[in-house]
Parts: sequence; C-alpha cells; structure tokens
Amino acid sequence: MSSQTNQKVDIHDEVNYDPTVWVPKAHSHGTSDIWKKFWILSFLTVADVVAYFIWPPSISRNIFFILMGIIKAWFIVGTFMHMKHEHKKLGYMIILPMAFVIFFLYWMMYEGNFWGTF
Amino acid sequence: MSTQTISKASTWGGGNSPFNVSYGKLMMWVFLLSDAFTFSSLLIGYGALRYSYPSTELAQIESLELGFAQNVQEQFAAPGVDAHHGEHFIPALRDLGIFNEFQWPSPDLVFNHFPFAHGLHLPLIFVSLMTLILILSSVTMVLGVEAGQRGDQKAVSKWMLLTIIGGFMFLGCQAWEWTNFINAGARMWANPYGPPAFAALFFGVTGFHGFHVFSGVVLNIIVYINNLKGTYANRGHYEMVEKVGLYWHFVDLVWVFVFTFFYLI
Repeated sequence: MSSQTNQKVDIHDEVNYDPTVWVPKAHSHGTSDIWKKFWILSFLTVADVVAYFIWPPSISRNIFFILMGIIKAWFIVGTFMHMKHEHKKLGYMIILPMAFVIFFLYWMMYEGNFWGTF
Repeated sequence: MSTQTISKASTWGGGNSPFNVSYGKLMMWVFLLSDAFTFSSLLIGYGALRYSYPSTELAQIESLELGFAQNVQEQFAAPGVDAHHGEHFIPALRDLGIFNEFQWPSPDLVFNHFPFAHGLHLPLIFVSLMTLILILSSVTMVLGVEAGQRGDQKAVSKWMLLTIIGGFMFLGCQAWEWTNFINAGARMWANPYGPPAFAALFFGVTGFHGFHVFSGVVLNIIVYINNLKGTYANRGHYEMVEKVGLYWHFVDLVWVFVFTFFYLI
C-alpha cells in the first residue's frame, strides 16, 4: 500500500493523541485579526439598522440585507471558524452547497409574491 | 512535518487526511453543514410565507408620525385610561388598520421594546444589542480557541467563562423578547400584530435557534469544567475547545441570518 510508505502521515483520535506522530493541528494566528473582524462585524450590524430606517422597503433593499448577511458570514466562517487557514477543498465542500441554498432562498422569496393571488 | 508531497492516488487512498484536518473537526464541519440545511429550510419557508402577504404600506406607517423614543403608550392611550396599564398601542393600531390579518406587520412596529424603557418606541434597538452580545461571545470563544492553540490553560478558562456568560445573556434577552411577545397575545396560532403565520414562524425559528444556543452553552460548560480539571492539558492539545468553538460560531452565524430575515426584511 502506498499510504504505508508515508509513515509520518498518520491520523489519530484526539484521545489517543501521541505527540511524536503527526496530527493535523491548527496553530495560533494571533489576536489582532480577531479584534479587527469584531469591529467590522459590529459596524456592519449598525449599518444594517441604519439602512433599515433610511432606505424605503424594496427588492433592492432586501438584496442588500442578504448580501450584508453573506459578508458577515464570510468573516465569521473565514476568521472565527478558521476556514481561511484550512485546506481549500474543505472550504469548497462547505461553501458550494450553501451557495445553492442562498439562491433557493432568494428564489422562494420571489415565488412567495405569487401565492394567494389566484 | 506535514509538508510531505503525497501523490494524488494516495491522497484519497486512506491512511491520511485529504482535507488536512483531524477526524473530529471534519465531522463537526459535516454536522454544521447539515444543520445549516435545516436552518435554511426554516428561513426559506419564512421568506416564501412572508412574501405571500403584502407588506404594510409605508404611507400607513408614516401617517402614525411615530418618533424615535416617543412614548407610544401615552400617545395611543384612550382618554381617561392610565397609560401605564394594559396595551394601548396594539388595539389603537388595529383600529387604524395598520395591524390586520392580510398584511405582514412592519417589524419595527412589533419589536420596539427595551428593558426599563416602558412605553417608549425604540425599534430594533434591543435586537441589535442581542446581535452584538452574540458577536462578542463569538469573539471571546475564538480568543479561547487561540489560547488553547498556545496551550495556555488559564486563558482558556477565562475566555470560556466569558463565552458562557455571553450565552446566558443572549438567552436572557431572548426570554425577555418572548415574554413581551406572548404577553401581547401572540401564540403559535394567534397574533395580534397581523397574520398568525408571523407568530408561528417567529416562535418556530427563534425557538429552534434558542435551543441551539442553550445546547452550545451546555457544551461550553462541559469544556470549561474539563479544562479546569486539566483534561486538555494532560492530553497535550485543546482540540475539543476548537470543535465546540466551531459549533458556537455556527450559532452566531445562524443568528446573523435570523436577524436579517425576521427583523430587517
């Protein structure tokens, strides 16, 4: 087996962790980025509320709110959930299905306009 | 070190981690993806039902001439009635035709309460505070994860404790919000502000999210106690903090979308 030739590549359960063999382990990236993202997220939340009061209800406003939600999700998943430091394929595995779901979300909001009008 | 070159055939041939994460973390990601589908289905149902009703007309709301932090209990009280007892706001707006069965209510007229500011019109302020509490508890969680990656047991304890407090604060806020909504007469099947579907979806989705927050707080407490006992220090790594952290951030992430859909759209 080819995998047995890679002796250092070995997956261990966290309970049976042996520090002499390699396990995929995250390391610290410092705290400055975390606080920066906190201020961005707070600012975006306040911007949402301000937009709610100065922008009359419309489809474009709804698209704006959903886009703001996606931007906030990007920072939460990327920095707080460590996704931007993970393997790229893991990111695609999580984000691509959700892209279809967000499309479906917008689709059903549009579709709801035509319910009860017949 | 981990920087070995592995041929493409052996990447998926077993015996290694194609995504370069541990089994536990990968499975947490898979669980969170499936949980995201569950919440998406609830929000998709909300979006479709919400737009099956026409919105409250802007002209109707503007005709109220409601000012920020204005005392709505006094303004809408019947003459000779003590403004501090009973709900005058909802019956008055029902009489004006702004709250009715056929139009989706404007969220800033429904969620305009704030603790210790009885009767004042403070739209969306309380829910913004709840959002900031949850974002802040997400920050303390990720600082706990960062401390765990450095192997700093005391710092992990400190940040986990702050995260637990943040979780309880959020749950308390949600209990207060529910109490107000229920006292106003909202039930799963009835809603004085408008269509019953509004209340049913509110209780369903925020209840589902609130129970996730509660579960997260329980998990955080377990991790906090384990860390005090030195379980992770003995194990040599703090990966359990990272995995519970992923769940806690997910709860924050869901709230971002619940906030967007229930209070803004």
